[in-house]
Amino acid sequence: MADTPTPLEVRNIKKRFGDTEVLKGLSLEAQKGDVITLIGASGSGKSTFLRCMNLLEQPDEGELFVHGDQIRFKTTRHGREPADWKQVVQMRAKLSMVFQSFNLWAHMTLLENIIEAPIYVLKKPKKEAIEHAHALLERVGLSARADAYPAQMSGGQQQRGAIARALAMDPEVMLFDEPTSALDPELVGDVLKVMHGLADEGRTMVVVTHEMSFARDVSSKVIYLHQGLVEEAGPPADVLGNPQSPRLKQFLAPKY
Amino acid sequence: MLDLQGYGPRLIEGAGVTIQLAVLSLILAIILGLLTATAKMSRNWFLRRTATVYTTVIRGVPDLVLMMLLFFGGQIGVNAISDMLYYNYEIDIYINFNAFAAGVITIGFIFGAYMGETFRGAFMAVDNGQIEAGKAYGMSNALVFRRIRFPQMMRHALPGLSNNWMVLLKTTALVSVIGLTDMVRVAAEASRATHEPFAFLLPVAAVYLLIASVSEWIFVRLQKRYDIGFGGQ
Repeated sequence: MADTPTPLEVRNIKKRFGDTEVLKGLSLEAQKGDVITLIGASGSGKSTFLRCMNLLEQPDEGELFVHGDQIRFKTTRHGREPADWKQVVQMRAKLSMVFQSFNLWAHMTLLENIIEAPIYVLKKPKKEAIEHAHALLERVGLSARADAYPAQMSGGQQQRGAIARALAMDPEVMLFDEPTSALDPELVGDVLKVMHGLADEGRTMVVVTHEMSFARDVSSKVIYLHQGLVEEAGPPADVLGNPQSPRLKQFLAPKY
Repeated sequence: MLDLQGYGPRLIEGAGVTIQLAVLSLILAIILGLLTATAKMSRNWFLRRTATVYTTVIRGVPDLVLMMLLFFGGQIGVNAISDMLYYNYEIDIYINFNAFAAGVITIGFIFGAYMGETFRGAFMAVDNGQIEAGKAYGMSNALVFRRIRFPQMMRHALPGLSNNWMVLLKTTALVSVIGLTDMVRVAAEASRATHEPFAFLLPVAAVYLLIASVSEWIFVRLQKRYDIGFGGQ
């Protein structure tokens, strides 16, 4: 399997908002089956970094490869942007994102949410998409809620539904943007359990999170960001078990 | 008893003109409104500017003036152009503006400006996360518009849209000035001929009310449809 292209690679990503440089040259490489967690204080740039990976934010500098294909950029008077939006659209279909605030489409039932992109983006036959969706709902424990609208579900249910929506794309890489941060504490466990299962079956995942236990138990690599730069990176046992930098030590120390 | 003194069929025909005029103008206004809203939210300076000039001019000039300007002015303009084009030939073409088309275009243009503002507000009310989710799942801008932005925008637009439609419906009465025989014009003629204004104007008022009530019913149903998933069970 040495010839399989790297699912996701970003090199030297830089991003500024106005005068503030929030990402100062970040790189990341996700091989098949990697679970990479990005940790850091708020404002460290971890969410922005993740959003640069599927170009919800446009990086000012840096390169992006999805499944070996390099995304082409051009410079316009609005700044740097993709040269070919068709390429971006195809690239995004290979990466699914799970958002902090779930972002299930409010005007659709849970089932409709899950079959939407497979039907309209991947052009799957409807019947097949529905069958797949039911299997995924079963897996995240939401079979009974297929016809519910997002507003009728709890946050935990919505997030598990959003994970099912992401899985329905059969993505190359799953991007998680603080998936448990908007949840009540008692609902976090169910979502983490589902994510655990995904890691176990060999899904490639990039996860921005504050859940240190998840980072320690599940990830193959932990990256600690500080003010737009990598401060420490490596296997969780090193980064979390034996932190070197004083900032990371302080970050990991009990807060009370 | 209601006695229309033989004007009944013409009044019904006039009502048909009113309804056709109103519905076609509404369609044009909605298309122009969507375009205007999109242009106003665009990053292209020229599009934004054009849309702003359009809404400012249209909303600042009385409907009646605009209608006469377009109808008479348009006619003169078109004929001047055709005279110029055919100056060297022995042909004299005189183009008569179709009053119905002029009516639809004028009313559509006027209400397109109001619809533009209604739609712009409605588009801005759609949660950005909903749109980002569409993009993140590989949807093109056109697909995001059709499957997410438009259906979610409609629930915010409908109250304003329904309001604009009611005003538009009544504005159609102005077309009699450009010679179009809608039901108001028939009623006015009949009233003058028979000296019995109430016999004709009251039925006309009733027809407007009827159209308005039916529309109200349709809008309530549409609102229910587009509210699905947003709190309402």
